[in-house]
Amino acid sequence: MKWLLITSAGLYLFGSYSRPLFLAGLVAELIHMGMRGTALGRLPLIGPHDTLAFFSTSIALMGLPFLYARGVKKDSTLSWSIGALAALFALLALPFRSMNMPLPPVLNTLWFELHVALAFFAYGLFGIGAILGGLYLARNDRTLLDLQYKAALIGYTFFSASMVSGGIWGYYAWGTYWLWTPKELWTSILWLFYSLYLHLRLKGANADRLVAWAGIIGFGVTLFTYLGVSMLMKSSHSF
Amino acid sequence: MKKLYDFLTSLDLGIWLVSGVMLFLGIGSFIAKEGSAINDVPLFIWLTQAPPAETWWLWITVAILAVLALNTVLCSIESLRAKWQRGSFLIRIAPQLMHLGFLLIMLAHLSSAYGGFKDGGPLPEGGAFSFPDGSRLDLVKLDVQIGPMGMPLDFSGVLRHSTPSGVIKGTFSPNHPYFYKGFGVYLKNVEPSPVRTALVEIHREPGAPLALAGALFFTVANLMLIWLRRGKRAA
Repeated sequence: MKWLLITSAGLYLFGSYSRPLFLAGLVAELIHMGMRGTALGRLPLIGPHDTLAFFSTSIALMGLPFLYARGVKKDSTLSWSIGALAALFALLALPFRSMNMPLPPVLNTLWFELHVALAFFAYGLFGIGAILGGLYLARNDRTLLDLQYKAALIGYTFFSASMVSGGIWGYYAWGTYWLWTPKELWTSILWLFYSLYLHLRLKGANADRLVAWAGIIGFGVTLFTYLGVSMLMKSSHSF
Repeated sequence: MKKLYDFLTSLDLGIWLVSGVMLFLGIGSFIAKEGSAINDVPLFIWLTQAPPAETWWLWITVAILAVLALNTVLCSIESLRAKWQRGSFLIRIAPQLMHLGFLLIMLAHLSSAYGGFKDGGPLPEGGAFSFPDGSRLDLVKLDVQIGPMGMPLDFSGVLRHSTPSGVIKGTFSPNHPYFYKGFGVYLKNVEPSPVRTALVEIHREPGAPLALAGALFFTVANLMLIWLRRGKRAA
């Protein structure tokens, strides 16, 4: 099934020439996930292979409305950048062995699946926000900063909803909605960071470049929360 | 006095305080050691008992959060006063609902840090223990379903709780604790041999309803903002 991921990565990259190709890449990746999900009888969200593929799908899925947004419909740099980001994570998933084990009982709940899926949608939107921030810094086009704000705000909403479902899951699974572990701490840092981002905007037009940079740094915090903590620290959320 | 009030209501102060909380939580993520009792006891007990080398980052975080809470309350009041006559009601109220959600979540953590309860340990099938209110809880039966790779696929237990108002029969399994008077009894794991033994934990999280309310306020306000901003250029 890995050929579907390779195909989608290629299509994402060619999506800079034609948006329907980008869409075809997303369809290929959704078919990959659907086949994995059918084989496992659950959403494929365990282990680096499945989560990286899910992250890639989330970037493409969340990126789609931005590719067709007013003012950037013909922007090939934007579509190439979003395609490259989605392709990167699809390709990063390839070296990892897929984990086909049954779910541990504590993960066998819809709250867990909702928690993880919403978090990855948010991560995808934060990635798109970083791209839009970079393009704004290069071109000074206000439309890009407005779109970055929308990506961050919707991502923040997904992330807040992910924390709600994670808290409910934790309460029923562990006895508490909160554990003091590196993953939870970095989740809070990420949430606070985007709270900071939203407040920086209130400083007015003088802070526009700072806001754009914050959107870029935010994706760095996102990547550390997702990958850095899992690789460098022992936590409740090791994938 | 006016200067102090302006300082406490300033956006810049809020931004610096949020940055400070992030910084010390980040430091804490590297300091908090595996094997620390931070998750085994209510937070304020851990804070007063653990060595300062382990706790200092959290004391500073709590102090900054206290000022941030004050800044949030005052900013909300100021914002409502300044904008009460302008713009739509939803535009005015959505950010304040988010602030309220944030404050409720902090209140929830305070409540759990003071009034939380955590206890537990291994309990063999047929064993019993004293519930926090003094009543007796028997673990009548344990069921384990082992998968082909030797991993437990599922497990559950049957409980008999002898309370002053009579005997209650209950069950518990992963993600489905047994609740009684604000306490939850959790089945964390089952060792199938040599004697079938459950790892049982009892928790009380008095902040849970507040945390849920705060998080829901927050998410609903987020959705309101997205709805209000749809199709518009950002202000």
